[in-house]
Amino acid sequence: MRDLATGLAEALAMLLRGDAELYGVIGRTLFISGTATALAMIVGVPAGYALARGRFRGRTLLLAAVNTGMGMPPVVVGLIVWLLLARSGPLGGLELIYTPGAMVIAQFAIATPLVIGFTTASIQALPPRLPDLLTSLGASRLRTLWLISREARLGLLAAIMAGFGAVVSEVGASMAVGGNLRGSTRVLTTAIVTVTGRGEVAEAVAFGLILLALAFAVTLTLTWLQQRRDS
Amino acid sequence: MSGIAIRGLRFERDGRMVLDLPVLDFPAGSTTAVFGPNGSGKSTLLRVIAGLERPSAGTVTFGGNERRRGDVAIAFQEAVFLRGDVRSNLALGLELRGIEPAERERRIERVARECGIAPLLDRRATRLSAGEGQRVNLARTLALAAPVMLLDEPLAGVDRIMRRALLEELPLLLRAVPAATTTLVVTHDREEAFRLADRLVVLIGGRVTAGGESGAVYRAPPDRATAELLGYTVLETASGELLAVPPGGLRRGPGAIGFELRVGRVVDMGRHRHAAGWIGRAAAELKLGWDEPVPAEGATVPVHAAEWVAVEG
Repeated sequence: MRDLATGLAEALAMLLRGDAELYGVIGRTLFISGTATALAMIVGVPAGYALARGRFRGRTLLLAAVNTGMGMPPVVVGLIVWLLLARSGPLGGLELIYTPGAMVIAQFAIATPLVIGFTTASIQALPPRLPDLLTSLGASRLRTLWLISREARLGLLAAIMAGFGAVVSEVGASMAVGGNLRGSTRVLTTAIVTVTGRGEVAEAVAFGLILLALAFAVTLTLTWLQQRRDS
Repeated sequence: MSGIAIRGLRFERDGRMVLDLPVLDFPAGSTTAVFGPNGSGKSTLLRVIAGLERPSAGTVTFGGNERRRGDVAIAFQEAVFLRGDVRSNLALGLELRGIEPAERERRIERVARECGIAPLLDRRATRLSAGEGQRVNLARTLALAAPVMLLDEPLAGVDRIMRRALLEELPLLLRAVPAATTTLVVTHDREEAFRLADRLVVLIGGRVTAGGESGAVYRAPPDRATAELLGYTVLETASGELLAVPPGGLRRGPGAIGFELRVGRVVDMGRHRHAAGWIGRAAAELKLGWDEPVPAEGATVPVHAAEWVAVEG
């Protein structure tokens, strides 16, 4: 309990002091996880839509693969991405390993199945005739997609929350492909591991509380958007 | 004017023929019931006309032209709504068709009044009862004022009282649309077909077996399946001819065209009684007056056809 209290005090002190390294870590965390989640939405929402509405061979298999991916241990994803991006790996030439770029790729791989899974479920929950209705009312393809997304916004915002929540809190993949380099790839979760290892418990708790507050702030915003009354 | 002309239309699904319509016309300004049993291709025909399905072959033209966006308004069998109130649901189609806000409001107020849904305008559209939903569904379609209007089973899922009311109101609503509107109403219900439209197209197994002015189609069913769908009892005479006997066309006692009715049971209908049973393998009913002796169940009663139409097999 005492550690928690000192941690809270330490967190406030660091924030108020304007600790440059802390703000750097927070910014990097938001940037890497935010970018990974955004990319996962760009790929995952259309893919989820196709899986929900499409009738093609191997659809069930693909859905099962996605559902499995939703529960993939981040450290395994990290390992696979590490093998691909390592200097000796097939994509080693890109020289991405131990950069924020590598972390975005790994987190993207973690978030995408979550986004696809949530999107598929939310689109399938809509009336099956909805696309036909919109087409018959005169909506263009793009407009139809937009209107359907608006109808499914509860599920789509849940997809963002699940995706962002998963990647902002994972440590295994970020550690594996980012390397926890101070000032370049250290994020909140890997920072917690580092300071805990050094026995600086109060600082670790401070990082932990800041991470929780960050995740809560993002989720609160999304929840507020999700639960707004129909205009 | 925008009549619908269908030429050489074929629609296959998974290698199975769903529609085969060499020539089918719906004259401009007419209201036609597309009448057929479940699975006869009625809804598919509407979807093809609306451009929601691409036919395997053939063309659908409107007044000689290709279909343009905004030509067709369709009401699906199950009313589908977006979140938001009834008013915004009615407005969406108008907005998508580029109707100005002031005109939108005018049209919404008008159809709401006509369809009796004015009190529902501010209700959540996804919380309507089945009957209310069908009215709003109809109003949304009417509001579009499209040259071609397609209604798929407009009374499906509506309770008896609401159905009664709509059977009275709907023909008036359909008459109130601009004179050039070509309307198709899909139904598997005979009463609906005759009450809602003045023309009839009978669709069985994806093919048109009869079409034209409703009364004329009824009076001259071409074949057994069409006659049975229209409510006739089809009986085979001793010489192998097929006779379609309309309801009430059988009389008791021997006659020129006589049959034997095997009585299954006698039903008290309140104002009269029915002896229901079989002639050969065809289910048949004989109306009995109150003063007539009631035949025993299982007995065989001689009957004759007083009214009939000869049909093909």
